[in-house]
Amino acid sequence: MRYLFFLLLLSLLLISCTQTSNNKYVPKTAEGYAPVYAQKNDIVNIGYEAATPTINAGKIYAYGNYIFQNDIAKGIHIIDNTNKAKPVKVGFLKIPYNTEVAVKGNFLYANNLNDLVVFDISNAAAPVIVKRVDAVFPAISQDYPMQSGVYFECVDASKGTIVTWIKKTLTNPNCQR
Amino acid sequence: MKKILIPILIIALASNSCNKSDGSSNSLMNATTSTGAGGSLARFAIMGNYLYTVDNTSLKVFDISNSGEPTLKSTVKIGFSIETIYPFKDKLFIGSSSVVYIYDVTNPEQPTKLSEAISPEVLRRCDPVVAKDTVAFATLRTSGVCGGFQSILAVYDIKDIKKPVQKAVVNMQEPMGLGYSDTVLYVCDATTGLNLFGIADAYQPIKIKNITDGNYIDVIPFNNQLICWMSDGLIIYNITDKANPIKIAKIN
Repeated sequence: MRYLFFLLLLSLLLISCTQTSNNKYVPKTAEGYAPVYAQKNDIVNIGYEAATPTINAGKIYAYGNYIFQNDIAKGIHIIDNTNKAKPVKVGFLKIPYNTEVAVKGNFLYANNLNDLVVFDISNAAAPVIVKRVDAVFPAISQDYPMQSGVYFECVDASKGTIVTWIKKTLTNPNCQR
Repeated sequence: MKKILIPILIIALASNSCNKSDGSSNSLMNATTSTGAGGSLARFAIMGNYLYTVDNTSLKVFDISNSGEPTLKSTVKIGFSIETIYPFKDKLFIGSSSVVYIYDVTNPEQPTKLSEAISPEVLRRCDPVVAKDTVAFATLRTSGVCGGFQSILAVYDIKDIKKPVQKAVVNMQEPMGLGYSDTVLYVCDATTGLNLFGIADAYQPIKIKNITDGNYIDVIPFNNQLICWMSDGLIIYNITDKANPIKIAKIN
């Protein structure tokens, strides 16, 4: 009976997503995923800057005389389309880890990693952040990568907030799912 | 003892997969609302006084009648690997990596599930959709993680939105996002460029021509302009003549 109890414990251990190194098949190195951390004050470092070249073109949104294009994980390019024959990039709204944008009236809605942020853009040349709703988009898991059946570098929450998971050769990978 | 051991181990192994499905596919949907127009990959959609957002698993409803003060009204659990949201009339099409869910938002704060009728048998993962009246256009891409044998542009009769009926199929190379303006359908294709189809008869698209100014990902027809998301920025065309886009500017 005691043996049975032990087996139940063992099976519970096996069920968990994040197995630890005590199981026997951990290789010295393996392809897997590692978390990339950022600090809160870097994540919320929002600002309006001069027009800048597009690095990694993202989603688009059209509203009135403006076109908005996300630059993946960097922010939003603002394009003045008032002169339909000559649309021109007028500025860049820096929003770290932004991927989404929508506009209604004089307000622009965007994600700042996992937060919803709202800007008053009645003066498109000087957007002002007016509201932040914390942690409504848990898009990046703080526990493990999206992929299953992979090794990953164990999470250390003291290092900050995980902003993405990258593919990496891991040494003594202690976690897997 | 062995008799007990084996079933327990099997249960343990079976439970171990933690199969949350990967979130790596690229469902595209296109949206045009009175508010503005979002691209096909949108996770944000505005309908009237409400902002709808999707994260990996949930739909959230924010009241934005006081625009600067969004108020979270409800969170609806949808499923796994949710990627896109597309408003169409009083419905929301919510795309995941495997299914398109249809929600009714007659009561804007309480979205209710109508169906998962647009299912893997009809529209599979990686399928951008646009709807026009009683017709839905979708591109089904076979490259990458999407599966399938032949990339196509498919046309569906959606008179009964819960039971789409396939009406036509056009072979494509590597189709991405799409959009329409009046009687012309614009379909992005990573290999063959921007494909134009006449849709005066919506169930029978007729190829007009291809435009090859770069690598097209998605389009927003907006008034008399066609705004194209290119892999390296934007291209804007004048589409006063819908079938003959004239390049206005490239913005990188």
